[in-house]
Amino acid sequence: MRTADRIAGAALLAFAVAFCAGALKNYTYSGPGGPGSAFLPFWLGVIMAVLAVWLLVGALRSRDPGAAWLPRGEGLRRLILVLGVTAAFVALLKFVGMILGTALFLIVLMRVLDRNPWPLTLSVAAATAGLNYLVFTYWLRVPFPVSVFGF
Amino acid sequence: MGFSVALTPFNLLMATAGVIVGILIGALPGIGPPSGVALLLPLTFGMEPTSGIIMLAALYAGTMYGGTITSVLINTPGESASVVTCLDGHQMALQGRAGPALGIAAIGSFIAGTIGVVLLMLVSPALARWSLAFGPPETFALMLLGLTTVTLLTGDDALKGYISMVLGLMLAMVGFDIISGDARYAFGIPEMMDGMDFLPVAIGLFGLGEVLAGAEMAKGNAILQGRYGLRDVMPSATDWMRSRWAIVRGTVLGFSVGLLPGAGPTVASFLSYTVEKKASKHPQEFGKGAIEGVAGPESANNAAATGAMVPMLTLGIPGSATTAIMLGGLMMWGLRPGPMLFEKNPEFVWGLIASQYIANVMLLVLSTAFIPLFVRALRVPYTILMPLIIVFCITGAYSLKNNIWDVGQMLVFGVLGYAMKKLGYSPAALVLALVLGPMAERALRQSLIISDVGMGIFFLRPISAVLTVAALAAVAVPVARAVLAASRRRGAASRPAG
Repeated sequence: MRTADRIAGAALLAFAVAFCAGALKNYTYSGPGGPGSAFLPFWLGVIMAVLAVWLLVGALRSRDPGAAWLPRGEGLRRLILVLGVTAAFVALLKFVGMILGTALFLIVLMRVLDRNPWPLTLSVAAATAGLNYLVFTYWLRVPFPVSVFGF
Repeated sequence: MGFSVALTPFNLLMATAGVIVGILIGALPGIGPPSGVALLLPLTFGMEPTSGIIMLAALYAGTMYGGTITSVLINTPGESASVVTCLDGHQMALQGRAGPALGIAAIGSFIAGTIGVVLLMLVSPALARWSLAFGPPETFALMLLGLTTVTLLTGDDALKGYISMVLGLMLAMVGFDIISGDARYAFGIPEMMDGMDFLPVAIGLFGLGEVLAGAEMAKGNAILQGRYGLRDVMPSATDWMRSRWAIVRGTVLGFSVGLLPGAGPTVASFLSYTVEKKASKHPQEFGKGAIEGVAGPESANNAAATGAMVPMLTLGIPGSATTAIMLGGLMMWGLRPGPMLFEKNPEFVWGLIASQYIANVMLLVLSTAFIPLFVRALRVPYTILMPLIIVFCITGAYSLKNNIWDVGQMLVFGVLGYAMKKLGYSPAALVLALVLGPMAERALRQSLIISDVGMGIFFLRPISAVLTVAALAAVAVPVARAVLAASRRRGAASRPAG
């Protein structure tokens, strides 16, 4: 936690400075008749910088390393797996389509992560994809991305 | 008079249909109340205006409740007004008390809606004048108060609460500036020029963030199994005793905030949560499943939705995105909102007010009947529920504007939400700031444009002065306390031991 606070403090400080600089460089601080589009962003950046310094100083002075916030071993493996499969689904959404993608996503996650039995996995995947199609595509007419198979 | 118009069998049928479709739409993320109302608006064109608006009012009430259901069950708010409900509602669900959480939300909403309708009937014209006295400085001061009291939402670490809030405000700066037209911090990306939408951010921070935190454990965030009979899912006598004043306070607060153009249900729900935590005898339970933390805000957002009808009907100023769409509906039927509406189309106005009431009754009946069904969804084992929630988050983020960009944004905020949760930051503060940011900035700049004394304008007008001083005190008091505590600790450390 202490290390995370130090990193977060430094990152937020850098972000705040860049935010302020970006505001002053690209937008007007004061326009005719009142504050311009850089006014609030600039001051928000200043406030964030103060808060970030506060966090950073507190974390640098702290002697207590605090509890670890990221899991280790099996927990970390599960976290990365879920995140990775979800990111892959989002990245491939355009090509596999929402309905087919939903089914594949559920099959991969339910099998790889928790080894659910095949019949259960397949029926949940088929039912969810079907319901998704009925509600969003058929009823609400949401134009989901489609695969080469047309769904 | 209103009831004789509204209580025809056809209109009752429309109200029932509106509530059911509303709950379904509200429970689907991405299709919030505004899009729900917009989707069904064309359906009502073939009807009498009264039947049409009754259906829309019922639909609106239903969608608000639908958002509450997903907040409680899977920590995914359907719209911004139910973000606070996640804080304690989902905790209650984790403790096997999803039923009482949903029950008290329905009852609180019903009571708030009922009192709201009575207030609407009695005091509309007078209140309309009062809401006109609320100019940009007052609006800004109110938003400032909402933002600075946000640390009360966050638990122990006030510093991290403020960091979350300021980060939300900074994200709210992204996109076209309404006054100058600058596309701020968009980096030439068209999707960024439109600004950060609240919904993908909230779905990511809350829904996906929660799932990622649960994914670490093989059994997930185990939800305690309970009994699911009708009696078991209803709030107990203790729940009721703890919630009754929260409901009353939420109603009064919500209705007053709802009157103000632009503030609406979201601000009302956040302020109510703050008030309840302050008023409570056991504030340490907030964030860990305190039923008042559900009862107050849920009453407040419903009362605010009713209150928002006042400026809409009397002044023609919509209080929220949904009322704006309903206003569009009114105009399409050739009705002109404004002071004359009460005189020229009394049967319509009173029909609408009565239909609000009927919608509230329908909602209470239908939601109570369905609560056991909703709660049963939690019996699905987490190994199946977790992938389903992710699918739900992805479809929700996509169907908001039908683009993949929002899905990617949701994913990024999901990772951020996970880290924030683990490191003690406040996703709720970030979301509130993101929602209020654009409104607060507009009010701030308008105030400074009309001001001759710069920032002094916030202190020279009575209402805004009170609100501004309260907002500043909300920051100053915890800071002073922290500095005092630190100096005392240093004093203690410098003294020789023994």
